[in-house]
Amino acid sequence: MPTADAETTAVTTKKPLYEASTQFKHWRYSPESLADVRSKLNEAAVAVIRQTFEAYEPGSSANVLFLNAGEEHLLVTFYVTRITQLCGHFRFPEEVEATAATYLKRFYLKNTVMDWHPKNVMWDIQFQERLTALFLATKTTNNPISLEAYTHNIPNTNPSDVLDLEFLVAQSLGFEFSVWHAHRALWGIWLDIQALDGVPTDFAKTQTSLYDTALNYVRASRLTDAEFIYTPSQIALAAFSLAAPEIAQQWLKSKQAVSESNPSSPTQIPPGILGSLEFIKGLIVNAGQPPETEAVREVDRRLRLCKNPEKVVGSKAYLARKAEQEKKAEEKRNRKAMEVEKAAAEGVDPFGDELERPKISLVDYDDDDDDD
Amino acid sequence: MDAVERENADRQKRWAKEQKVGEGTYAVVYRGREVATGRRIAIKKIKVGQFKDGLDMSAIREVKYLRELKHQNVIELLDVFSSKTNLNLVLEFLDSDLEMIIKDRSLVFLPADIKSWMAMTFRGLEFCHRNHILHRDLKPNNLLIASDGQLKLADFGLARDFADPGHKMTCQVITRWYRPPELLLNSRYYGSNVDIWSVGCIFAELMLRTPYLAGDSDINQLDTIFRALGTPTEQEWPGHTKLPNWHQPSTTYPKTPLRDLFTAASADTLSLLGKCLVYEPRKRISALEALNHPYFFAIPYPTHPSKLPRCAAQLASRAAEEAEGGDIDKMSTGPGVKAAEPNNRKRKLTSPEEFRVRSIARKLDFTKQANSP
Ligand SMILES: Nc1ncnc2c1ncn2[C@@H]1O[C@H](COP(=O)(O)OP(=O)(O)OP(=O)(O)O)[C@@H](O)[C@H]1O
Repeated sequence: MPTADAETTAVTTKKPLYEASTQFKHWRYSPESLADVRSKLNEAAVAVIRQTFEAYEPGSSANVLFLNAGEEHLLVTFYVTRITQLCGHFRFPEEVEATAATYLKRFYLKNTVMDWHPKNVMWDIQFQERLTALFLATKTTNNPISLEAYTHNIPNTNPSDVLDLEFLVAQSLGFEFSVWHAHRALWGIWLDIQALDGVPTDFAKTQTSLYDTALNYVRASRLTDAEFIYTPSQIALAAFSLAAPEIAQQWLKSKQAVSESNPSSPTQIPPGILGSLEFIKGLIVNAGQPPETEAVREVDRRLRLCKNPEKVVGSKAYLARKAEQEKKAEEKRNRKAMEVEKAAAEGVDPFGDELERPKISLVDYDDDDDDD
Repeated sequence: MDAVERENADRQKRWAKEQKVGEGTYAVVYRGREVATGRRIAIKKIKVGQFKDGLDMSAIREVKYLRELKHQNVIELLDVFSSKTNLNLVLEFLDSDLEMIIKDRSLVFLPADIKSWMAMTFRGLEFCHRNHILHRDLKPNNLLIASDGQLKLADFGLARDFADPGHKMTCQVITRWYRPPELLLNSRYYGSNVDIWSVGCIFAELMLRTPYLAGDSDINQLDTIFRALGTPTEQEWPGHTKLPNWHQPSTTYPKTPLRDLFTAASADTLSLLGKCLVYEPRKRISALEALNHPYFFAIPYPTHPSKLPRCAAQLASRAAEEAEGGDIDKMSTGPGVKAAEPNNRKRKLTSPEEFRVRSIARKLDFTKQANSP
């Protein structure tokens, strides 16, 4: 944590900004801890869903083949590829696509794919989550599009399909909307390279294919766990190195020279970058591709049998849960009504001692925040 | 309940909401407390249901940027949670804002006080700009003042990042009186220097105690600026006549020295003010350069935040807090703001009115010092 007190007028030592970001603080894992998060999430989800099955039909969970963490992960990777399709459809900028992909991947570190929120049978699995993550990303990257235009372009959707999950997605992200992307870091490297000694002035023009190739590696990295483990600049460098290893080396050398002569340089090369570079390259090459259709189909088929019944509209469990919620709300309304009546009888303003009551209701005053 | 919803509910329980303290265009603000510590907080409650596009852009921006920015001179976002159809931002509680202080006629500002507010403003802004974030709505009532006198940039509902210099942006930002000429001319490519212009206007307002460039319409605003600072020449602002909204003005105003209006200001003061109000955006001083400007290193040194003039509302709320024995102050002088001697001779020259207010403030400070270990 950078302490505010350390900020000085003459700004001398600056911690790299990235290290103060929520991404650095809350969304970085080791490969082991990532696997651990996923398996714990999966175990907990299976336990809850098994219980739900049992509660409504004893014995019904015995033959269900729940998904394991690896299978959930396979589906999430598949969903990320579908984000790309949606973005292509809307011609959204790279930033939107990258952000939506990150949101979706973060979302499934907090939610299981077995909690299904479908409302329309036309959709494939987890479509609503994707729609919401992408819509949120258009807003957080400052590329807003009206909800009407958004849903208008996607068959069989209506605004509530997108909005119903907005809070759940935002909560799952911890309301941390800002994402540091490897494609931006790549652009920085690309600009740096053009300024390297001995690089011809028309380099950017003649060698755009190098940049495009590297960008495609960055895109491939979005299908991997790289962003949870490495910094955006490490990923960008690995991608560039896959496209043009020698130039990447040259860039790295120039950066190291800068860091040595100026240890507090903001573009300092993090220690250990070389080791991780090979690892990231391996990750991109091996894992940076869409999962096999057959494998997805197989897991998807099983998902349909083991999804949380409480979330399946119309199922017994769903109806039971709804009824329970209704009952609670009803009780609360009654309680409130009684309070208001009682207060009125006593001549007390039930809204408390506010000086003036709002003319337009900006917030839901009925929403007392302390219950469930 | 899902794990994520449970987590949200747990967050919510950490904050107790008390009475309503204010209402903005899209939110209602409540006073409250952190349950565990009793620390005072504000809860800004935004109803999402009223927006047909879901979470609205102001709320999104505010959350996005405040989540990342942690600095003594930027309002702290302590938590975010949702409740039914509302989004709740838990913010540090701030008693007043610079507009209230400027308007409080019973307060007299010393040059050292103005310097202190300016230093804190530039420090907060430099931090935003270093993080590639433009505020785009700086004005006195968005500079909130904490009970320890620290000034905090607030209201990030119009903020955005500017990582991408060639990126087209909207020119419909910044409240008119604080809006720089390039935005009035509908320039769509701009940068952090738009905020600097706003700070220049605030700087002038602190000295004048009234808004400096108060145009009564968008069209009139440019005229107001030209009247005050002279009509720009092609030489001092190359290319401005090519901007979308440029019309050849009927009158050409001459340049009048800032000294004519700001008669009591020191040369350093006018130098910095002039550098904030440069027409050519790229020649405007940056926040970092401003912090290194001689103005901040010259006598009088900036007043210690705790010794700054404060308005009645603040004094009352501070006194209440002290009576409760609340722990409010970590009372650090921002680096670079050297505390002025409490018994600065100049104080004797101030008005009796001010003397009264100050002596209360000082008394409270003594209480604090006696309480602290
Ligand atoms: N952190 C805070 N601490 C104490 N009071 C606050 C705080 N933030 C806001 N307030 C109070 O709530 C009021 C409304 O604040 P809000 O930020 O929603 O709107 P605003 O900036 O006044 O107006 P607008 O929404 O038009 O920009 C403020 O005028 C102030 O009185």
